[in-house]
Amino acid sequence: MAKPRKVALLANCLLNQNAKVCEGARYPGVASPVVEALRKRGYELQQLPCPELAFAGVRRWWAVYEQYDTPAYRNHCRQLAKAVAPLIESFIRRGDEVILIGLDGSPSSGVRFTSSQPQWGGRPNRPQDDWDIVPQRGIWIEELELELARRGLPKIPATGWALDMGRFDEAGSRHDLEEFLESREKAAAPRGGKLRGGKAAT
Amino acid sequence: MSVDVRGWRIALIADALLNAGPRVSLPDVIAILEASSYGVLQLPPAGGAHGLLLAVTADQVAEYAHHGYAVVAIGLKGKVESGLHWRRLTSLLRQRNSALPPRHVIAPKIDVEKEACRLAAFLVSYDVPEDEKRRWRV
Repeated sequence: MAKPRKVALLANCLLNQNAKVCEGARYPGVASPVVEALRKRGYELQQLPCPELAFAGVRRWWAVYEQYDTPAYRNHCRQLAKAVAPLIESFIRRGDEVILIGLDGSPSSGVRFTSSQPQWGGRPNRPQDDWDIVPQRGIWIEELELELARRGLPKIPATGWALDMGRFDEAGSRHDLEEFLESREKAAAPRGGKLRGGKAAT
Repeated sequence: MSVDVRGWRIALIADALLNAGPRVSLPDVIAILEASSYGVLQLPPAGGAHGLLLAVTADQVAEYAHHGYAVVAIGLKGKVESGLHWRRLTSLLRQRNSALPPRHVIAPKIDVEKEACRLAAFLVSYDVPEDEKRRWRV
């Protein structure tokens, strides 16, 4: 039997900042601090699809949770979840330790937080920072978790890189990520062919 | 929002390269991509039924290529189709009227430094034509 691995599921743009909305890319390509922290601790990387790019294209406006919370977008996210879920299931069923690093503040990939503003709509001329950050999953993460639950898989421990929180604090994000990874190391139970999941650390 | 620093370049990467592990005699592909301002689109691992996931990847490649982004593919010699799912990807991109990206294949277990230089030179040398840049990269 193959040795269990440590696998980190990554929001698409953490490996590819070209997926971000216009004016949203903080790194040229790879979000280096995230990748560095994960590789240093021996995690293999598994990039998730970007639901917004596949739905609204690379030249889309930025948006909040309420704008993407439509039947069509949720259906699109469900299709993407069905595409990637078999791979995630194979990791979990072989006993790999799987974690999820999303994108806090994102309407789609938020884990601890998403962006909210029920008034947004029409021409995107709202003043800067005219949205709220609320403690809630983004739509993509909600749908992905539902698909994994449908397959009888345990909840994946998750955190978010706070890139979409309005004012990005890289040092704070790095601290949060390290703390999360540290907690996973402490929580790591002896491997025994059982499904490895548990309560999400969010 | 803020100043956008995207690199406008993306590399499709074989899973075996992205997750090669420290003991394999290969260049550090992620470090080279970072230094060259490339983003990563990871291909599924070899084997297994990844048709849906490859179709999603093909959608993304087509979307980028149609909007002025430079897309390349980097594979690993010795893997089936260099780990790039090339035949399936060719068909999927053709369905989307999108050209196949230029391909670079890394040879394992030879001079790692030389392979790293070869990859870096390939990445630096490729970009879309100037008129495409002017059209999209504003």
